[in-house]
Amino acid sequence: MSQPLLPDVAPPEDQTFGDIVWIQFKKNRVAYCSLWGLSSLFLLATIAPLIASGRPFTWNIGEGTRYPWFSGLFDRNYFENPVDIFFNMLLLAIVPLMAAALFRYRQIKKMGLDKRPRRAKIGREIRLTAVLFFALFACVLFNPHSEPYTQYADIAEQRLAEDKPVDAVFTPVRYIFRKTGFKSLERPSAQHWLGVDESTRDVAVRILYGTRISLTIGIIAVAIYVTIGVILGALAGFYSGKVDILIQRLIEIVMSIPALIIILVLVAFLEKPSIFHIMLVIGLVRWTGVARLVRGEFYRLRGQDFVTSAVALGFPPRKVIFHHILPNAMGPVLVAATFGVAGAILLESSLSFLGLGDLSAPSWGQTLSEGYSSGAWHLILAPGFAIFITVSLLNLVGEGLRDALDPKMRK
Amino acid sequence: MLNYVIKRLLLMVPTFAAISLVIFVVLNFAPGTPGAQMSTGEAGGQDASTAGEQRESYRIFKEQFNLDKPVLFNTRYDLGQPEIETELKAILNESGDVPPARRIEAQEDIENWGRYAVPGLIGVLSDTSATPKMRALASQRLTFNAQKQNKNIYKKDLTDAERAEIKSIAKANSKVRNWSFKADATPEEMTSVTTTWHRWQESTAEDWHYSFGERVEIFLFDTRFSKYWGNLARLNFGVSHVDKRPVLKKVLSKLKYSITLSFSSVLIIYAISLPLGIWSSIRQNTMADRVVTTVLFMMYSLPSFFVAVFLLNLLTRGTPLQVFPTSGFESLDTSQMTLLEYLKDVGWHITLPIFCGSYAALAALSRYARSGLLDVIRSDYVRTARAKGLPESVVILKHAARNGMIPILTLLASLLPTLIGGSVIIEVVFGIPGMGSFLFESINLRDYNAVMAVLLISSALTLVGMLISDLSYALVDPRITFE
Repeated sequence: MSQPLLPDVAPPEDQTFGDIVWIQFKKNRVAYCSLWGLSSLFLLATIAPLIASGRPFTWNIGEGTRYPWFSGLFDRNYFENPVDIFFNMLLLAIVPLMAAALFRYRQIKKMGLDKRPRRAKIGREIRLTAVLFFALFACVLFNPHSEPYTQYADIAEQRLAEDKPVDAVFTPVRYIFRKTGFKSLERPSAQHWLGVDESTRDVAVRILYGTRISLTIGIIAVAIYVTIGVILGALAGFYSGKVDILIQRLIEIVMSIPALIIILVLVAFLEKPSIFHIMLVIGLVRWTGVARLVRGEFYRLRGQDFVTSAVALGFPPRKVIFHHILPNAMGPVLVAATFGVAGAILLESSLSFLGLGDLSAPSWGQTLSEGYSSGAWHLILAPGFAIFITVSLLNLVGEGLRDALDPKMRK
Repeated sequence: MLNYVIKRLLLMVPTFAAISLVIFVVLNFAPGTPGAQMSTGEAGGQDASTAGEQRESYRIFKEQFNLDKPVLFNTRYDLGQPEIETELKAILNESGDVPPARRIEAQEDIENWGRYAVPGLIGVLSDTSATPKMRALASQRLTFNAQKQNKNIYKKDLTDAERAEIKSIAKANSKVRNWSFKADATPEEMTSVTTTWHRWQESTAEDWHYSFGERVEIFLFDTRFSKYWGNLARLNFGVSHVDKRPVLKKVLSKLKYSITLSFSSVLIIYAISLPLGIWSSIRQNTMADRVVTTVLFMMYSLPSFFVAVFLLNLLTRGTPLQVFPTSGFESLDTSQMTLLEYLKDVGWHITLPIFCGSYAALAALSRYARSGLLDVIRSDYVRTARAKGLPESVVILKHAARNGMIPILTLLASLLPTLIGGSVIIEVVFGIPGMGSFLFESINLRDYNAVMAVLLISSALTLVGMLISDLSYALVDPRITFE
C-alpha cells in the first residue's frame, strides 16, 4: 500500500473501512450531533464534583490552608461508590492527558510514517495509557483512603454567624447527592433548580451524579454481554458441528427465560445489591442477541477467500478468529452494543424504580419512584427527561451507525 | 413439515428440562431463604417454649416444601459421627468464638439432615469421652431427628391403610420424643437413655443401612430438584409459601386480567402500526413522513414507566385532571352492572395501562413496517406490477405489503410470552392485579413456588412462540422449507 504502483501517478487515497464509515456517519447531522451530545453528557458526569461537592477547594480556619476537595475525590468515606472514584480520577487526569495526547500526536506526525502504521502506533499508545490508567484505578480502589466526614459548609456558616474568619473557596453547589435536610418536596427554586425530593435531598445534584451511574451501568453491562456473546458466537460460527449445536442449545435456553423477570428475581434475591451486581446480572442474561449476530456473521465470512488463505497459511484458530474474521464482523455488534447501552440504562432505571436497585447510589429511577409515590411534578419530569434524553441520544447514534455501516445507504 | 414440527417438539423437552434446571438452581442458590423470618424466633430467646415451638413450626414448614433437602445431589447417607460432632460443637459454642451466623447455620444443618443424622447423633450420645453438655444436646436433637416424617397428613381423602400408617408413625414419634436428658443429669440417667436409644436403633436397624441401590436413589431423588420435578410432571406447581393455596390456581385467577390487557394491546398495536408504517413508507421523505418518523422515534425512546407515572399524575390524581381511575382493573362494586356497563367500566380502567403498555411496541412495529415495505417497494416485481398498469393501491397492498410485512407477522409469535408474563411495571404502577403484579409480590415475599411457576410457564410459552414464529415464516413465504 505504501508504494505507489506507478512512480509518476499520485498514490490513491488510502481509505480504511473505518474511514468510510466515519465519513458516512458524519454526513448524518442528527447522529453526529447526538454523538457530541453523548460526549457532553459524559463530560458532565466527569466534572460533577466541580459543580457540586460538599468540600471546598481551599479551607483555612486559622489552622493553615487545606485542600479538602482534592483529597475528597479519593475519599471512600465521601464517595462510597467505586464508579465515583473512577470518574474523579478521570476528572483529575483529563487535562494533563489531553495536553500529553496533543503533544504526542504532533510528535508522531513529524515522524513521517504512513497512515496505517501511524494509526497502529497511536492505537498502541492509547491502549497502553488506558491500561496504565486502569492499573492506577485498581491501586486506588484497593488502597481505600478515608477521612472523617466533615460538614464544611455547615461549619463555615456557623463560624460566619459567630463572626469568626473563614477562608474557603467552595464549588458553586455546596453539597453532594447524599446531603439531606432540605425542605421535603420543595418546588424548584433558585437554590434548588430541580426542587427537593421526598427524602429531603436536592434533585438536581442527584440527577447530575446519576448520570455517572447510568452511563457506567449501561457501558459495563453491555461490555460484559458483548464479550460473552462475541466469544460464544465466534466459536459457534467458526467451528460449527458439535460446538455449534451445544452453543445453539445454550442460546435457546437462555433466550427462553424471560430476561426482565429473571433479572428482577436475581436482583431482588440479592441481599444487598450494588450497581456492580446489576451490571453483572444484566450482562449474564442478555448476551444471546449478540451471540446470534456474531454467529451469523461468522457463518457468512467463514467461506470467504481471506479466511481460507489465513487458514492455509497455518495461523492458529485463535488468530484466525480474533484477528481475521472478528474485525469484519464487528460492525453489527457495535450497532447492537449502542442500542444495548440504551436498553441497559432503561433496565437499570426500571429496576431502581421498582425499588430493587442499589439504594445508596443516586439512580434516576429512584427519584422517579418518589415522584410516583408523592405525585410531585418535578420528581417525575426531571428524572424522566434525563432518561429520555440519554436513551434517545444513544438510539440516534445507534441508528446513524447502522446506516453508515449499510452499503445500500451510501451515496 | 409434520416431521419438522415433531422434531422441534421433541427437542423442546430437553431444552425445557434444562431451562427448569437453570431456573431452579438460580432460585435455590440465590441468597435469602423463604420463611426465614420464622426461624428468627430462636434469636429472641426470652421465652424458651415459644421459641422452641416457632423453631419446630419452621422445621415442619421446611419439610413441607422440601427446603430441608439438598438442591441437586444428596450425599447425606454418608453422614458420620465427625460431621455431626463439628456441627454440635458449633451450636454449643463452648470456646465462645463461633460467630452467630455459623451457629444458626449449624442448627439448620442438623435440622435439615433429619433422619440421616441419627446414627451420627447416637454415636455422639454414646461417646463417653464427650462432654455431658454435648451428649445432652445430642440426646435432645435425637428426639427431633429420629421422628419419621408423616407425609400424608395434609391429604384430604385418606384410605384406611394410610390412616393406620399415620397413626403408627405418630405413635412411634411420641415414644421417641421423651428420650432425652439435660446436661446436669446423673451418669445413671445418661446410660439408661443411651441404652434405650441403642435398643431402638437395633429394632429399626434396617433404616440405617443403605444398599447401593438405595444410595443411588437417595443421591439423585431425595433432593429438592427431583421432588419438584416429580410434582411438576403431574402439573402440580406446589402451593404458595405465603397462603398455602395451590400456585397454579392463583396464577390462573390472575390470567384474566393480564390476558385482557395484553390481547387488547396487541390488537391495537397491529391495527395502528401496519397502516401507519405503510402510509409513511409510500410518502417517504415528505414532510408528513418526517414528522411521523420523528414522533415514532421519540415514543420509542420514552421509558414506559415514566410515561405511566406521568399520565397517572396528569389524568387520575386531580393534579390537574381526574379523568381516569387511579388504579385497579374494575370498580369496587361491579355486582349491579349490566354486561355493557361492566365492559365500559373495565375499558375506562384499562385505557391508560393499555396505552402505556403498547405505545413503545407500536412505535417499534411501525418502524419495522416502514422499513420492511421500503425494502420491497423498489424490487423488480413491484415495478412489473406498476408497469402492467395496476392501480397504485393494488400494487402497494396486494403486491408489496404482503411481502414486506412477513417479518412483522412473525413478530406476533414473540408476543405470546408477554401475554402471560404481562408487563410487570405497568401492572404495578396501575395496580392491576394481573400476572405482573403477582410476580412482583411473590418475588418480594420470596414465594419460591410462585416465582418458579411464573418463570416456567412463560419460558414454555417462549419456546412455543419461537416454534410458531419459525412455522409462520414457512407458511407465508413459500421459499422457506424445512427439508
